[in-house]
Amino acid sequence: MTKPEAQGTEWTVREQKEHLDRRANFFILDVRNRDEFAAWKIEGRETPSTLNIPYFEMLEQGGKDGFVESIIAYTQGELVGQLPKDRPILTVCAKGDTSAYVADGLRQLGYHALNLQGGMRAWGNFYEMNPVTESRELSVYQIGRPARGCLSYIIVSDGQAALIDPLRHIETYLDLARAKGFQIERVIDTHGHADHISGGPALAGRLDRPYYLHPYDGIHPIDVLPARVPFEYLHDGQTLSVGKARIQALHVPGHTLGNVACLLNEAYLFTGDSIFINSIARPDLGGRGETWAGLHYHSLRRLLELPDTTVVLPGHFSSPREANVDGLFIASLGELREKNEGLRIAQEGEDAFVQYILQSLPDFPPPYVEIKRVNGGLLVVDEEKASELELGKNVCALAQAYQAAAP
Amino acid sequence: MSVAFDKVLDARGLACPMPIIKARQEINTLQPQNVLKVLSTDRGSVKDFQGWAQTAKNVELLAQETETENGKEVYVHYVKRVS
Repeated sequence: MTKPEAQGTEWTVREQKEHLDRRANFFILDVRNRDEFAAWKIEGRETPSTLNIPYFEMLEQGGKDGFVESIIAYTQGELVGQLPKDRPILTVCAKGDTSAYVADGLRQLGYHALNLQGGMRAWGNFYEMNPVTESRELSVYQIGRPARGCLSYIIVSDGQAALIDPLRHIETYLDLARAKGFQIERVIDTHGHADHISGGPALAGRLDRPYYLHPYDGIHPIDVLPARVPFEYLHDGQTLSVGKARIQALHVPGHTLGNVACLLNEAYLFTGDSIFINSIARPDLGGRGETWAGLHYHSLRRLLELPDTTVVLPGHFSSPREANVDGLFIASLGELREKNEGLRIAQEGEDAFVQYILQSLPDFPPPYVEIKRVNGGLLVVDEEKASELELGKNVCALAQAYQAAAP
Repeated sequence: MSVAFDKVLDARGLACPMPIIKARQEINTLQPQNVLKVLSTDRGSVKDFQGWAQTAKNVELLAQETETENGKEVYVHYVKRVS
């Protein structure tokens, strides 16, 4: 079986994102197995119509010897009327190989079918950068992985930069530093991450610059073992400067024991995993949800004392619909005080809050224990394993965030 | 785990959809009640073999296991031709 021709018959994940952003009219045929599809699928601010038919069902029910012949037979027999002829059909699978055959079969039947190059793995590893503010005195960039809902930040002042929560693919940040001509001076993790592998220790090591973490998150909460990665202790009230910018650490435990929010120039609040746009962080990923929910309450109340004009920049989003028109995940604290359900309930008192939180916990994703081991240097994984551990969208917020995100 | 098998398909190093496509070809060469042991390095094959066995009328998935070979995980699937 020879691989189908690639030219003009594929979209890169970047092209796919552009089509999603401008709400282009296309259709998605996802041929992964039903469990993988149910757990994680392509979403945009408006998600295109999507059909999931596992490739092995097409193969078996198409009933031919060859895969492409089976796809053609299956499509003619079972899919008539279900696939549009008037717009592109994007075929999607885990890594982009199987869906290329499916697109080939559909094109032979006259459909305008395109394969998503690299599949969901490439989509999960795709990065996007959006400026929050840009000037010589102060620039802030939001760098995210749209498919995973992970957000990180670069703060630049007078050519010096601090990174907050850098994600696993550190070339993203090194390339940007070269392109924009700044020096990375400090690397900060707001907390020990459970949902993704931090780029922090690797970047700090590569650049020989300090990596900051609150010491409470230097201990794996389930294993109760200390991290093997070197880090500088970040503590409450500590101020770090880059250029003219001043970053103040606020210890706000709850999601983790060492979660820190970073207040930049008393104007921008990098909340890590505490306040998100549509939700708040879950307190149970360390295995102590009931105990930590009360800490989380007092931390949120502390952050709510900041002025309404404070600009909130969260560590995650749960749905692309949380972005503003510029594609930024950003809101004022005043706005969130009114609109964010978790923050509204935090204002009703501790008992109501703890009750609400404990009724709102999504399932615990099993890989999260291992990811925390990787982030503490307790476990070393290769690229293949790292991609597997990180597969899917983050589940760091409360359950309502994902129900609201469901199409 | 010791599952008796009649033939081995080595699909290590092959990406999706090849482990399923080759397994389907092999199973059709076996006698009914015979078992094919499939080796794959594709992690996605675990769920895919489960789904395929549910879809295919003449196939039963007897067992699955994960072995570690030189630090790499190998996913083993035991597939029986039913009829």
